[in-house]
Amino acid sequence: MKVTGVKVTPYACPTGGKPAGRHANGGSIVELLTDSDLTGIAIGADEAVAQMERFVAEVLVGADPRATTAIWRTMSEVHAQRRREDPPATTIAALDIALWDLKAKANAEPLWKTLGGTRPRANAHAGSIALTATDRELTGWYGSLARDHGLRGAKLRVGLDEEPNLARLALMRTALEHGTTVPTLIIDAEQCWTPKQAIRRLREIEHEFDVAWVEGATDSWDFPGLKEISNAISAAVCVGGDLATRGEFLPHFQHRSADVIQLDIGIVGITGALELADAAYGFELPVTLAESPGNIHAHLSSVMPYFMSMEVVEPLAQWPVFATDVRIEAGWAIAGDAPGNGLAVDRAALGRAIVRAGR
Amino acid sequence: MKITGYHVEHYLMKMDRLVGDANLPSGVEMLPGSILSLETDENVTGISLGYGGGIEGLFGAIEGADPRETVALWIKMNDWLHKAGNEGAASASLSAIDVALWDIKAKLADEPLWRTLGAHEGRVRAYASGLDYCLSDEELFAFYRRMAEQGIDTGKLKVGLDLKADLRRLGIMREALGIASPRPGLMIDANEYWSPKQAVRYVRQLEKHYDLIWVEEPARRWDYDGLRLVSQQVRAAVASGENLHNLADVYPLIANRAVDVINVWTGQSGVTGLRQIAHMAHAHGVQVSMMNAQANYMAHIAAALPNHNMMEVVDPGREHCLKWDNHIEDGFIVLGEAPGFGIEVDETKLRELQANPPTGRGRFPFPRRDGAGRYIVPPAPGEVPWR
Repeated sequence: MKVTGVKVTPYACPTGGKPAGRHANGGSIVELLTDSDLTGIAIGADEAVAQMERFVAEVLVGADPRATTAIWRTMSEVHAQRRREDPPATTIAALDIALWDLKAKANAEPLWKTLGGTRPRANAHAGSIALTATDRELTGWYGSLARDHGLRGAKLRVGLDEEPNLARLALMRTALEHGTTVPTLIIDAEQCWTPKQAIRRLREIEHEFDVAWVEGATDSWDFPGLKEISNAISAAVCVGGDLATRGEFLPHFQHRSADVIQLDIGIVGITGALELADAAYGFELPVTLAESPGNIHAHLSSVMPYFMSMEVVEPLAQWPVFATDVRIEAGWAIAGDAPGNGLAVDRAALGRAIVRAGR
Repeated sequence: MKITGYHVEHYLMKMDRLVGDANLPSGVEMLPGSILSLETDENVTGISLGYGGGIEGLFGAIEGADPRETVALWIKMNDWLHKAGNEGAASASLSAIDVALWDIKAKLADEPLWRTLGAHEGRVRAYASGLDYCLSDEELFAFYRRMAEQGIDTGKLKVGLDLKADLRRLGIMREALGIASPRPGLMIDANEYWSPKQAVRYVRQLEKHYDLIWVEEPARRWDYDGLRLVSQQVRAAVASGENLHNLADVYPLIANRAVDVINVWTGQSGVTGLRQIAHMAHAHGVQVSMMNAQANYMAHIAAALPNHNMMEVVDPGREHCLKWDNHIEDGFIVLGEAPGFGIEVDETKLRELQANPPTGRGRFPFPRRDGAGRYIVPPAPGEVPWR
């Protein structure tokens, strides 16, 4: 089997029920074409179409897509040589996801099996909603996730003013009590604090709340600052959601400035996520997986020895322009038996959602 | 005086009750037993309890040697294992042989081992440990009350899966121990169920209500960064080490000031190996605590350690075919004058057990529980009697 080309279809559509704070949900359908009747599918970021097409022609066309690890290494090296811009990390991550989809489809088995896992039953938590969401929207959204999908944990995006943060954390906790007596509370500060601000804010929060972990406590490159925060609070400091390369993770491993490692397969790909999860395991660090369209990150959960929890922002099986074979039940993400990553493009819906291609 | 041979007996015990921790809160009652007998040309036999596999691989190192040369033989066995390392099953065999050698040495001197090892008296402070996650609240109270009636005023509770229940049960344990002291000592053991930061959160919540002497295995056995982080962030001392098997394994914990108390036992390369660990810990101002043992036989070793605080007493009923020479009095394990470890095997009972192996629930050891180190999976309804 050989890669013959790529078809990239950028799309935009209205958001679902989630108070996302933006009017359109966007991305691109990446279809990796082969000389067989198999197509590898990934939902990429808002890709620069021409750039991805050029990169595939240069690096992937003619390659056997089943050589996922070797191709990942080649793509990573090109990415590093070209100052991480041509192509960006999200491009090689999307291609890696599509390659793994092909590999599993070639085996006629679900991705989790190709990766060596057992059927995923992955601990899941709700991702954050917009800072601009009203209290009513917040209560409604988290409440429905807890009631209808059994989610036991959720992440709150916090702002610079402490009073509303405390009030909204209380609302979120109450909403989650539909699903559990001991909700997992997660905070995302989006790297808006200095280390000392983070310590003051988080200690005040911890006076009232038991927080499981905090993301974006300060700048993600500031490992001394993150370590200082970790030493001063009870909650785990979570790092990694915006990091792309091994080199960026290394200081956090080495200095233990992270208590939890977050991996985003949309940035580090599946291959990179597996490598980094093993490294994290070596340092006894639990791994959380950032949201992924179609919740396909569930496939990775049973091959990560220290997988802790995966973020879910949309619990449904039917997404705006595609369907997924991962369902969220009683707080767990469960993958089915469809070959590959289980994503199926809804051509009609995609046709209505296509945006002008290329940049 | 020469070592001439050995034989091993295996059998299966049904304990008097279930034992369980955060990894298997429903508990087990079956326990495999082994007795290694090391024979000499002078009609003295050394006995070692608990592990008897793989002796043939090491016996060549000690055959024909004078069994009284315990430490030299330990070095020889350790060197024998140089390439593959004093690890795994080989380490367990080395441990078993070393224990039997010390038993012989004391028996030849016609004295209890605590005296051979240089203790002033055969007396070791005890703490009660229920291995009690599988016990109902009533059974929990009954266990610690029975211990308190023997003067034991300190207890160690299994915790980690349910904060509310653990808070309640700490109170039950304290009340039960209250007849032995107006201020009973409280300890907790999570058996590596948490990540370091989970441990910090959990223990800080418990410490809002209780003063804890130590928290045992709040993070993985080798994770010196994580254990130190917990020690720095909670008031209680951090104890660990029971799942490490030699000084080399324990060294990073001591060198990095990761733990405040090291749990020691003969599985750490025998009497000789655990004494090395205790001595290194002592040099660094770190205390040690002896693990529980069948017939409390390890109290002999504890009695002679300079930095030993208290020894774990579980008493789940594991002495079916043993006779022993010690008892608990005023909160102390009091060792008698019988030579060696003071343990004798009741051959008739042993044969009965081997001929008619008992049956019961589960079997020791049990695996790590789902979620461990990452997220808490509380007991399902019906999994434990207290939920």
